[in-house]
Amino acid sequence: MNRLFHIIWREWKRYLLLPYLRRMLLIIPVILFFFYAWIYQEQEIRDLPVAIWDEDQSDISRRIQFLLEQTPSIHITTSVTDQAVLQNKIMSGEISGAIHFPRGMEAAVKSKHPVTVTVYTNAAALVPAKLLYKDAARVIITAGSGVLLQQYLRSGMATEKAMALVQPVKVTAYTLYNPTFNYRYYLVPGLVTVALQMLFIMVSALGINKEEEEGSFAEAWRIAGASPSLLLMGKLLAQVIFSWFHFILIAGILYPLHHLGQPGALVKFFLLHNLLVLACTGLGLFLSVIFRDVMLALDAALFYTSPAFVFSGFTFPRWAMPWYDQVYAKLLPYTHFLDAYIKTYTMNSPLRYGIMEMLMLLLFCFAPLSVAVLVLARRYRSPIAFAS
Amino acid sequence: MSETNQKGLLAVWLREIRFIGSDHSLLLTVLIAPLLYAFFYGSIYINKEEQAVPLAYVDADGSELSRTLAVQLNSLPVVQLVSVANLDDARGMLASGEVQGYLFVPRGVQGQLLKLKPADIVIALNAARFLPSSDLLAAVTKIALTAGAGVRLQYLKSGGLTNAAAMQQVMPVNLDYRPLFNESSSYGAFLLPGLLALILQQTLLIGISVSVSKEWTRGRYGEWLAAGGGRTGSAVAGKGLCYVLLFACFAIFFTVVNYHVLGLTVKGSRIELMMATLLFLTVLVLFGMFIGSLFRSTVATVQFMAFSTYPFFLVTGYSWPFAYLPRPLQAFASLLPTTPFLKINTAIVQMGSPLHLQADALWHLVALAMLYAVLLVARIAWVRRKESLGV
Repeated sequence: MNRLFHIIWREWKRYLLLPYLRRMLLIIPVILFFFYAWIYQEQEIRDLPVAIWDEDQSDISRRIQFLLEQTPSIHITTSVTDQAVLQNKIMSGEISGAIHFPRGMEAAVKSKHPVTVTVYTNAAALVPAKLLYKDAARVIITAGSGVLLQQYLRSGMATEKAMALVQPVKVTAYTLYNPTFNYRYYLVPGLVTVALQMLFIMVSALGINKEEEEGSFAEAWRIAGASPSLLLMGKLLAQVIFSWFHFILIAGILYPLHHLGQPGALVKFFLLHNLLVLACTGLGLFLSVIFRDVMLALDAALFYTSPAFVFSGFTFPRWAMPWYDQVYAKLLPYTHFLDAYIKTYTMNSPLRYGIMEMLMLLLFCFAPLSVAVLVLARRYRSPIAFAS
Repeated sequence: MSETNQKGLLAVWLREIRFIGSDHSLLLTVLIAPLLYAFFYGSIYINKEEQAVPLAYVDADGSELSRTLAVQLNSLPVVQLVSVANLDDARGMLASGEVQGYLFVPRGVQGQLLKLKPADIVIALNAARFLPSSDLLAAVTKIALTAGAGVRLQYLKSGGLTNAAAMQQVMPVNLDYRPLFNESSSYGAFLLPGLLALILQQTLLIGISVSVSKEWTRGRYGEWLAAGGGRTGSAVAGKGLCYVLLFACFAIFFTVVNYHVLGLTVKGSRIELMMATLLFLTVLVLFGMFIGSLFRSTVATVQFMAFSTYPFFLVTGYSWPFAYLPRPLQAFASLLPTTPFLKINTAIVQMGSPLHLQADALWHLVALAMLYAVLLVARIAWVRRKESLGV
């Protein structure tokens, strides 16, 4: 036990004294976590510049324009007179979209002929395009309903019946866990935890080989009593306990400051955080033992961890990926962490819903770590081998 | 360019090729990683959009209407209905992640409709992830509107109108949605061109910055400058040219092979795209050399570059509009070559824009090239003075 405490204490001293570890464990996380939150300071996209192409110049088209201006995402900034000008303005970035009212629209509505209002968006920028479409569609559907309601009331229909006929099937939607589609609430926890994953794999990928390169490995080996399992366990525990600093940084400062996360599910987050760090450290130490060349280990860690965010299915669902990408996603600890995080922390579901993912994270830790122990034991099985 | 300069440039260029060939980490970063990443990342979005999002369906009405709604929803590619006996089961499936939402049709919905009273159906969505929830909401809204139009059609016909006349009055104001430059509004078509440019950028930046920082750590700064005939310009140009040419080949490969595999097309001029890309690569090389010259440790360089990938991409205005970034971040993003280049890349690839319409972004790249060239030359001069490396 004494040896284990010695290894842990030695590791912590290394974290604080060695620049490459101090940078990774103390400086980069602080900058990165708050940088991510800062990017999404606005939280929601509002008042996107939109052009009006009004060929009708009627009372109805003006009323619809008024309603469009009241929506969160639309801000009418200019008018255009044809589609070529409209496209050029979108290409130059002056506007994000446009609404077209056809000539004779009011007359058609009054004579009970259908009209078509066209919504143009710049779908090369997908996020603003979807917001514009959503708000414009809501206004145009409402306008159509208003026209219908007036027609029915004018024909002498009872109000309740007219209302029912205007919208016979009403959809009441509950968007749970992020009702306002707040981007900061959505993206920052994902970005922060994926950075955490990269951080711990990349730090532990230097855990053994860098010591071998620097010549300090003999000291570590001696403290561990020439026991590879004790040495790796010490390094693992040192990193897990040190990561509580990062947990406090995230759950204690970043989340409350930016109104993120679920304060009522903190214990579950803490558990998942520890499991993620265990998995990442186990994998990182494995890389560190396998690749004795520091740069190669770092490259391997970087190549393995950097795609985690996109493969996890956070922004683009895994079921939409080809099968081989789905398989690769399962080989990343972050995928399992994210699934459990969303279910048990974001959605605050009971822990049992994330049990499989948690077991997978433990597997990610102890399976590669066992191999690393065997390799290390074989490498240093005799004092001669150690000396060489 | 004088003959001495040309010789110096060639000498540094050949030296860099030997350097890359002898360093397996660098070889991996600049030769294998760009290709591997491009196919690896690109394949995620090969289907472009999601299909068959699981949605639990709780039919407490058991009516013809509720069955019709189910059939219509299931006919949409984006929805995969999972019939569930009751709301508790649906909530359980949502909590376990088996479904992304549930649609509840309460008892008596059809009866309400027949009495010409509003019929409410309820959808609950897991908005912890945006794409599935917004796709499901759009699908259910569409089906509800269609069902509503069907009810009105039947009502009007029952009042004696012909089918054609009733059809005209069902939807007085229709919506025609035209998403320009990405007609299917697919996530893949939106993200892939930017993603490939980002892969090009990050692998180049890591490669060139590591190369420069290795000159430092291996004590070969003087040797590098000496190979350039003692001229900073030749030394920088020789090293930089090696990477510009290599990554220009990757850029051509990406726009020909990867675009073909991923079903992407360049709507504008390929020649103009290549011209802009060459300028972009030049700025990146100068930027990367400057960054590399700031670090005296290769590990530190890799750490910096690794953790800069996501922040650099997120502030370019590609995934989140530039105007919605805080002002200091906008200023920071303006110093990154990716910001103007992604604007040009999107305009040419997706919009078919001629290059001259992107003059602002082009001048932005030129200004950045000048800025980083000046900073790099100043940094090398400072290092030479400090370390007495004058050769």
